[in-house]
Amino acid sequence: MNELSIFAKAMLKERKDILLSILGGFFAGIAGVVLFSTSGYLIAKTVFVPPLYTLILLTSLVKILGLARAASRYGERLFSHRATFSLLSRLRTDFFGRLIPLTPGILNRKRSGDLLARIVGDVESLQFYFLRVAYPPIIVASVFLATVIFASFFSLWIALLLVVGMLVTAFAIPAAVTVGQRRTNGQVRRSRADLSAEATEMLYGFIDLKVYGRLKSREEHLAAASAELTQAQQADALRLLRGQSLHSFMTFFVSWGVLVLGACLIANGSMAGVFLAMLIMASMTVFDESAAMATLPAYKRDSEFAAKRLNETFAAEAISGPDTDPPGKLEENAAISAELDQVVFRYAEDWRPVLSGVSLRFEAASKTAIVGPSGSGKTSILELLLKLHAPTEGRVLVNGRPIGELSEEDLWKSTNVVLQQSHFFRGTIRENLLLEDDTRSERELLGVLAQVDLPNKRLEDPVLEKGENLSDGEKQRLAIARALLKSGRLWLLDEPTSSLDYVTERRVLEALLDKAKDDTLVMVCHRLAGLERMDRIVVVDRGRIVEQGTYDGLMQSRGYFYEMKQIERQMIGQSGSGTRAV
Amino acid sequence: MNTNKSGRANRKSGLLAELMAAQKKRTGLIRLLTLGLGAATIGQAVLMAGAVQRVFVEKAVPASMIAIFAMLLGVMAVRTLLAYANGRIGLRIAADAKQTLRAKLLRALASNPLIASRQGQTGGKVSLALDTVDEADAYFSQYTPKMIEASIVPLLILAAVFVLHVPSGLILLFTAPFIPLFMALVGIRTQQKSEEKFEQLVRFSGTFLDSLQGLVTLKLFGRAKRQEREIERSSLSYRDATMDILRVAFTNTFALETIVMLGIGIVALELALQLVVFRSMQFHAAFLILLLVPEFYNMLKNMGTAFHGGRTSLGAIRNIETALAESAAGREFADNEAADEIFPALPQAAAPSIELCDLDFDYGPDTFRLQAGSLRIEPGQQIAIVGRSGSGKTTLLHLIAGLLPPSFGEVRVGGRRLTPAQEDSWFRHVSYITQHPYMFTGTFAENIAIGAGRDVSREEIVRAAEAAGLSELAAELEHGYDTLIGDGGRGLSGGEMQRLALARAFLKRPAVLLFDEPTVSLDLHTEQILMRAIAELSRGATVLTIAHRLHTIRHADRILFMQQGVLIGSGSHDELLNTLPQYAEMVDIQREGVTA
Repeated sequence: MNELSIFAKAMLKERKDILLSILGGFFAGIAGVVLFSTSGYLIAKTVFVPPLYTLILLTSLVKILGLARAASRYGERLFSHRATFSLLSRLRTDFFGRLIPLTPGILNRKRSGDLLARIVGDVESLQFYFLRVAYPPIIVASVFLATVIFASFFSLWIALLLVVGMLVTAFAIPAAVTVGQRRTNGQVRRSRADLSAEATEMLYGFIDLKVYGRLKSREEHLAAASAELTQAQQADALRLLRGQSLHSFMTFFVSWGVLVLGACLIANGSMAGVFLAMLIMASMTVFDESAAMATLPAYKRDSEFAAKRLNETFAAEAISGPDTDPPGKLEENAAISAELDQVVFRYAEDWRPVLSGVSLRFEAASKTAIVGPSGSGKTSILELLLKLHAPTEGRVLVNGRPIGELSEEDLWKSTNVVLQQSHFFRGTIRENLLLEDDTRSERELLGVLAQVDLPNKRLEDPVLEKGENLSDGEKQRLAIARALLKSGRLWLLDEPTSSLDYVTERRVLEALLDKAKDDTLVMVCHRLAGLERMDRIVVVDRGRIVEQGTYDGLMQSRGYFYEMKQIERQMIGQSGSGTRAV
Repeated sequence: MNTNKSGRANRKSGLLAELMAAQKKRTGLIRLLTLGLGAATIGQAVLMAGAVQRVFVEKAVPASMIAIFAMLLGVMAVRTLLAYANGRIGLRIAADAKQTLRAKLLRALASNPLIASRQGQTGGKVSLALDTVDEADAYFSQYTPKMIEASIVPLLILAAVFVLHVPSGLILLFTAPFIPLFMALVGIRTQQKSEEKFEQLVRFSGTFLDSLQGLVTLKLFGRAKRQEREIERSSLSYRDATMDILRVAFTNTFALETIVMLGIGIVALELALQLVVFRSMQFHAAFLILLLVPEFYNMLKNMGTAFHGGRTSLGAIRNIETALAESAAGREFADNEAADEIFPALPQAAAPSIELCDLDFDYGPDTFRLQAGSLRIEPGQQIAIVGRSGSGKTTLLHLIAGLLPPSFGEVRVGGRRLTPAQEDSWFRHVSYITQHPYMFTGTFAENIAIGAGRDVSREEIVRAAEAAGLSELAAELEHGYDTLIGDGGRGLSGGEMQRLALARAFLKRPAVLLFDEPTVSLDLHTEQILMRAIAELSRGATVLTIAHRLHTIRHADRILFMQQGVLIGSGSHDELLNTLPQYAEMVDIQREGVTA
């Protein structure tokens, strides 16, 4: 249960709602039991022709109990759901908080997107832990205990029978269900993953599959995977059904037991006959109350799986990630120099390095362009300089100090970054400028928007998740605006203008270079145009530096850069070129 | 348009009806079993009440009641078994239905993902086949059996109560309609409320994932801590919005339970009065009714619960139906007329001529439309397709490849119409090198060999790999040609995948080569190999290239220029420069940009 310790802590913080929902559930349960027992008693009592007022008293009691039960249920539902959603909120903030220090590390893998979606899903399946797993046993146990105590006033034997029946339903039956579950544990999940992978592969590889005549066999695979999933799901559902059936038979069996036992007790005179109907009703109702227990194992398994996976994720990352931010700070108000020294870098799950032995020095206030074919390792250089990854071998130095000694927070404060994929949040343009402080004037902000060629955007214009309502070009320009509003002295730009047309690109780059004239700038470029203004061009191919020099120098030497330039001249009709991005 | 819509609506009810019609026997069996279930429910109460009557009123000794006890236990067992059997049949129906639905979806997907992928994201399609089909489950496994039970058992109980005591029966009869009524009310009001709050819910629930995805950006801008508070705020707002919805549901449930409780209370009061004041009733009958009443209400409540589950499922089924209708709307190839094979059944074929005859295509009404018109490509010609992104170049190539069915007109290869019947023969001699060649899960050698479509020797594979400049990579891989690549194996770079596709083509030696030239700059090594390889493969093949490099365009025998889905001109580079200003402009702007 150690895996759910986070959850226990969160529950403790929501104890008020939890307590109230337990109280509500308890009263509702008890009211139900008393209601039906009273009815039974009432009917039995009539055999002795009691005075009318007893009857009136009893029937009013029945009605009041009925109302009380409904009202308590209402309260229980309200509080328990409130608690559930408050817990979700706590879990989210908690996990987000834990993810913050791990962030660059957790992205040390290619499928970080999947990982994040998984964390979100796992946190969500944890939210029902309280409502469906932790909570029902408390209610069932307390209602049951009260009923047993009540029954024990009339007959200890019957109370004992109830206890045995309860133990069987609470432990033996779920255990029987879980045993089968454990054997096929994860079968459904595995089959689902298989089917999903098969389907995705078929969709993405459709043309190749069709042209190479493999589509039919792929479809057969898919049908088989689908059948397997159906079968696994069927087996799971059947197990659940069996559990439910056993549960309901146990309910019947206990009331039968109460009847038989009661008959014997009445026959030997140790119990009054008038209570028999009442006890039978009580036993039937109390077991009805425990119906929620039937679905518990399934939910329990899901949330425990989620908790385990979350814990593993975080534990694994915590080992690889740094614990604390080192104290090293950069000098303020000075351009920054940086250096890669014999750097080899490999993503955790990749089979070959992205960078193999790169040494590169960026002087203070220099302007460097890094070019090369896609996948050559350009972006990794920027990521290493940003301390988003640690080099596998070699050293990364900033202002002559190993980057490991520098405080991330301070380093990032000193850098103005445009990533290849900038993230935009749901909110407004202003919010998405991610200002460090609120002192910037409206005018200044609009001025920057104009500089990046977004004069028609207003600060209060809405931005949807991931900037869905912005074009690629607008996103890039907004990302540049963000960087322009920062006051760092190191500029790290990853293909900042790849979606802009030439005219806009030139204007925006102008603004960038103007602002950065006294600062150090490293820009990864996808196009080879407009590089004349850079101090130096570094050409990277397959993780190695193949050439570096000024634009003119490289053109004259007719090497790799020159060849690339020739090919680029040949390129025609791509997106981003020719057409003006709107 | 109108008829189309009504046709779709008809089909909408059609899918469910079709699925259920296949299950007639099983639903019939459930009905039969449910009659037994009702009888067992009543029987159990009768025996129970009878036993209590004997013990309590008649003071019978337990020994004399062994028979009745045994019978009671037997009835209980039968009742459990019948309920289990119903559930099991429900599961069977669900399994069958899900299998059918999934098969239909997957078939629709496989029949033409090029159309499907245009209509929505691939992920959505896969999730439709998995999650949405699972959502549909409850309709078959829960709703169907529960509804049958709820429509039979309460009636039986009601009849029994009427036989025993008319006033109690009347109370049940009058209170019963309130239950489905309130249940429906809960559903409708909740739905209204959640529609009202939909926007809010989406906004608040998305913040967490949004923040996680943007965490790097947030950290780089020093805003992570602030975002933590934002998550808390939006999560709590989400809670409050959801609670608003739930409160509506809970209030109605409260009313419903009150009615049930009052119903039971009234019956109890009425029974007591009958017993004591009017003396018109026996204990046995009164206790029996008291046992039956909760069963009656429970059944009705179950119906409500099942109904809710059923509605969600029904929505899912409707979504599936819409998706299926959409994919059906994206036509299939007209007919499968038997025709001569396009190519003779030889390992190698000569380059054929390709004709487009009044070729027209759309992805559905009011969507992108491609008008290619008529055109003849001579055997062995090199064709470049040119146009801006979104002008329909890829769609045209897909049509010519026979990957998309034309809405009008036809493609002729060597004078014979290209139909699905020809597919095997056709694709045996076609290579299609896309911008993103697909790596199958398998070994490096298998991924090359797939190009051959026949058994090939290792030497042939190695030779093809060498021709495509892959021998260096093969040497780098830890198990050489037997290294697993693709999903779960070694990943390759974009340039390497291009070369892999070339190696496949070298094994095939196609008579028709379709090539979507890369738009990104590949490494020089790959660029050179690509040029050389295409030139070599072009000998003895009819080649159609979506060209992005001027070099390719200049060397083409003929250029097809596309603009907004229309093939507006064709000819050589020089011809087009003179006759087609749009073409000249495109080539010119490009060169200005580069040299600027």
